[in-house]
Amino acid sequence: MKGYRKYFGKKILWLVITFIAALLLNFTLPRMMPGDPVAAMTAKQAQGLSEASAVKAIYDNYAREFGTNKPITQQFFTYVVNLMHGDMGTSFSQYPRKVSNIIGNAIGWTLALQFPAIIIGWLIGNLLGALAAYIRKGFDKVLMPITLFLSSIPAFGMAVMLLVVFAINLKVAPISGGYGFDMLPNFSWNFVVSVIQHYQLPFWSIVLVSIGGQAVGMRSMSIYELNADYVKYARFLGIKDRRVVGYVFRNAMLPQVTGLALSIGTMVGGALVAEIIFSYPGLGTTIYQGITMADYPLISGTTLIITVMVLIATFVLDIIYGFIDPRVKAAQFD
Amino acid sequence: MSKTVLEVRGLTTKYITRFHEDVYAVDDVSLTIEEGKSLGIAGESGCGKSTLALSLMGYYFAPLHYISGEIIIDGKSISGMDPDTVRKTVLGTEIAYIPQSAMNALNPTCKTRKFIQDVIHAHDPHADNKQISELAESRFAELGLPASVLDRYPVELSGGMKQRTVIAISTILKPKVLIADEPSSALDVSSQKMVIKMLRDLMDKGYIRAMIFITHELPLLYNVTDDIMVMYAGQIVEKGTAREMVFDPVHPYSRGLMHSIIVPEQGTRNKKLSAIPGTPPNLKKPPEGCRFAERCKYVVPQCRYNTLPMIEFEGTRTYRCGHSIQHLKEVYRCEDE
Amino acid sequence: MKNTLKQVFHSPKFLVGFCIFTSILLMMIIYPLVNPGNPLEMIGLGTFAEPGTYVSLYDSVGTKTSTLKLDGADVKRIDQVLSGEDRVNMLNWFTADSIDISGLDITDTDTLLAMWKANFDPSIRLQGMTKAMRNYYIRLNDNINAAASADILTVSEIDASTGETVEKAEINKTDYVNVGDVANVKTLPLGTDNFGRDTLKELVSACGTSIRIGLIAGTVATFIGLLLGLLGGYLGGFVDDIVMFFTNIFTVIPSFVLLILISYSISQDQRGANTIAIVIGFTSWVWTARSVRSQVISLRNRDHVNLSRLSGHSLMRIILTDILPYIASYVVMAFILQISSGILAEAQLSLLGLGPKTTDVPTLGLMMNWAMLYSAHLNGSWWAYFPVILTIAFISFSLNLMNTGLDQVFNPTLRD
Repeated sequence: MKGYRKYFGKKILWLVITFIAALLLNFTLPRMMPGDPVAAMTAKQAQGLSEASAVKAIYDNYAREFGTNKPITQQFFTYVVNLMHGDMGTSFSQYPRKVSNIIGNAIGWTLALQFPAIIIGWLIGNLLGALAAYIRKGFDKVLMPITLFLSSIPAFGMAVMLLVVFAINLKVAPISGGYGFDMLPNFSWNFVVSVIQHYQLPFWSIVLVSIGGQAVGMRSMSIYELNADYVKYARFLGIKDRRVVGYVFRNAMLPQVTGLALSIGTMVGGALVAEIIFSYPGLGTTIYQGITMADYPLISGTTLIITVMVLIATFVLDIIYGFIDPRVKAAQFD
Repeated sequence: MSKTVLEVRGLTTKYITRFHEDVYAVDDVSLTIEEGKSLGIAGESGCGKSTLALSLMGYYFAPLHYISGEIIIDGKSISGMDPDTVRKTVLGTEIAYIPQSAMNALNPTCKTRKFIQDVIHAHDPHADNKQISELAESRFAELGLPASVLDRYPVELSGGMKQRTVIAISTILKPKVLIADEPSSALDVSSQKMVIKMLRDLMDKGYIRAMIFITHELPLLYNVTDDIMVMYAGQIVEKGTAREMVFDPVHPYSRGLMHSIIVPEQGTRNKKLSAIPGTPPNLKKPPEGCRFAERCKYVVPQCRYNTLPMIEFEGTRTYRCGHSIQHLKEVYRCEDE
Repeated sequence: MKNTLKQVFHSPKFLVGFCIFTSILLMMIIYPLVNPGNPLEMIGLGTFAEPGTYVSLYDSVGTKTSTLKLDGADVKRIDQVLSGEDRVNMLNWFTADSIDISGLDITDTDTLLAMWKANFDPSIRLQGMTKAMRNYYIRLNDNINAAASADILTVSEIDASTGETVEKAEINKTDYVNVGDVANVKTLPLGTDNFGRDTLKELVSACGTSIRIGLIAGTVATFIGLLLGLLGGYLGGFVDDIVMFFTNIFTVIPSFVLLILISYSISQDQRGANTIAIVIGFTSWVWTARSVRSQVISLRNRDHVNLSRLSGHSLMRIILTDILPYIASYVVMAFILQISSGILAEAQLSLLGLGPKTTDVPTLGLMMNWAMLYSAHLNGSWWAYFPVILTIAFISFSLNLMNTGLDQVFNPTLRD
């Protein structure tokens, strides 16, 4: 048990370190860029404004908002203290709404959409990969190129194609949003049905894209395991093939948990863009609004939340993996 | 005369590579082992010893394929039996296997106890887990393995411990014949000793009735087994008792092999160490005639096209060479002087 | 080396991937030779012209005509006039007039028209029909009659000096011009985009830019990853700890987020395609660094490296001659994957509106972004986005295939 505690402790330490690194990056990256970010933002905001005093007013406003007139360490300190109070600043584009409030409304949609979709995609992908490795021959020859092609379609491409086919041509699903545009969020039956209808296309586009990569990885892993020495030994002890195959797939699937942990960041990135295609009311659409409206506090807050989400997901997967795969114990616990 | 436990007649198997080429790694091998005896098989890497070990199990899966021959255990032929019957009634109970790389032989995500349960359930689906645990615990204790091993994952065991665990699992169902493929080659000296002692214990306590020990380390065979067989390019080239084979090898290859090692025994001290030049033939296209001809010092033209049978001499010994036994002994005598 | 290449090209997966990628590259080189010009030139006014061949109406008036009497020409003409809605309305008229319409197929123009001619009477006032609807039917009837009649169309010109209309040409319904004789004919295989630009020309150019972005991003990422992986793996100790510290951090912080933050901070007019490519490269070296490091660690204590070290060779020489050749296959594989992820990253950034500046060169991501901004997917202009998606998919498919093929050659346990 001591080993577990040590492993757990190590992972928590890493979570904290990466969190601090993420904060630092989120804070410094925009400030490290050549030129004055406040000036750049003012330019974006002030497009079409010719009056110098108006531009100056906008500039001063931004400078105050970011405290860019103060030394950088003090800025960081203020930033962290504000964050601890859950304050991410005020949105420019949806003034006077707080960024934390906007993100709070969006995060639920993203969590409910992406995590189930990524997990279902992971499961289906692993299943297909295992089948391809086990059956080989024709199935493998037909299925693998298809999954490989599927995994090559970008998430937004899949989203657009599903949208065009199912929402526009077949008219079996709504085109955009998270629920009917004539509704207000509530717990009525109609609202729930509408949410489920709007959920389908974004959900399946993420699932379809996730399947490919996972299937390809699982197939290689399974082939590798099928050639392992323990397979031969177990067979020579008279253990049934079906049981041996069970060992193999369990052993091949466990590292896929780490695989998921390592690729979840990339997958979330793709899925966020897919959200935009459907105008799904999640973080992807929020960040898109932030970018088009030059709403810097909103962008900064959203990227931080996305990073934290990915960090936590990775952490949880690491912990789960440590518990279910004894091989990690040998490698990490001592 | 004691009872024959294992008899093999003319066993031939092949590998099919991924380029669809046939590799005849075991060609017309015959052997017998009597109750309580052990047989060593020696040869260079790639001579087919490991393939022979796999072929002797009578259970074939890709890339290994059965061609011809017969395997008889305790008077009962297992060749021609349906594979699932072999799996259920022969593997583990009649004949058992210890793989070359015990390091990776155990499923990394399965505790030893669970794996033993799987092994026993494969032969008796109704076996009671509690009884299996009792059996495993008492057997492990008898073989000097700590009971805690049962609740460990393979990754938590040291190399020597893993190897001994593998041996204990292989013999849990009291197989009549145990085939050990290089069981100690990857271990340090003290672990090697423990493994050898364990194999002897298994024989003495009657958990196995005969053993085939495969290795490239000849001194080990001399100390462990009763008889030794030398294999070259998929064929047996000579067979005799351990003593005869080490001090009086007849086949030029056996002689070369014995000369390339040190046996810490009287009478071998003065011998010069020498390597056998050349490499073994490609088994995708085995040469006609004597397979050793290319590397043999005593080669004569007819060696290259005469197909050679195994020839008996001195009652119990056999060899496969175109030269007569008298001729060879004469040549060796001159050479040694 | 020669042997390895031979082995690589014997892998069917690699070969197929290589062929797809090469044909995309060839297309990029050959098409601009056939169809030169600025890919961002707006040749059309208005948005989203459908794919097809466009014939200058003006030029065809003066072109030599031939008379062709073709069966069914009238029906075809009417077909073009009658919309699906008109047909349904005709059906409604029959129903209202209580005419038996069983077995009538409204897509069969001939029968529908025959029935219409036999039954329609503008003077009939049907029960419950509005005046507007009645007028609509009369207009529809006139259109059908006009399309079917043998009228001659007169083309006139206004004389600039007198202001009078002068007859220029008469066009019979049986007059045809040879497309080859018309001075101005333009084929737009993929129509035009929202700005009226030739989509195919734009796509070919965008494809080139995107591959260039992928190559630059891949090179930058491979260089950084290789450098860090070699340093950490070979030197070990403190250097390795530092390399691993940063690698671990950047493994979990999504590169996508970093990309957004960095690109947003670079102002629009400074964001060229190359800048974006370099930024992408700087955020995606982690995988290369990881795999190079683990390979180098396994190589570090091999005999030939030890021998080289004992012989007093310099660090540079050991790395170049004793380590790099052994990890080359992994580096190439990582590079290939990075090209494809670089192209994808650019596309995603552009969709967010953070791609390269829009006035310079088209990229696949920008084309996608334009198509989405102008709702090509909602108004049925498939040619504006579908070829783009397909191109991205084929580029990464071919690269993935090559990668899988290489993997099978260099990782024998994965061989079939």
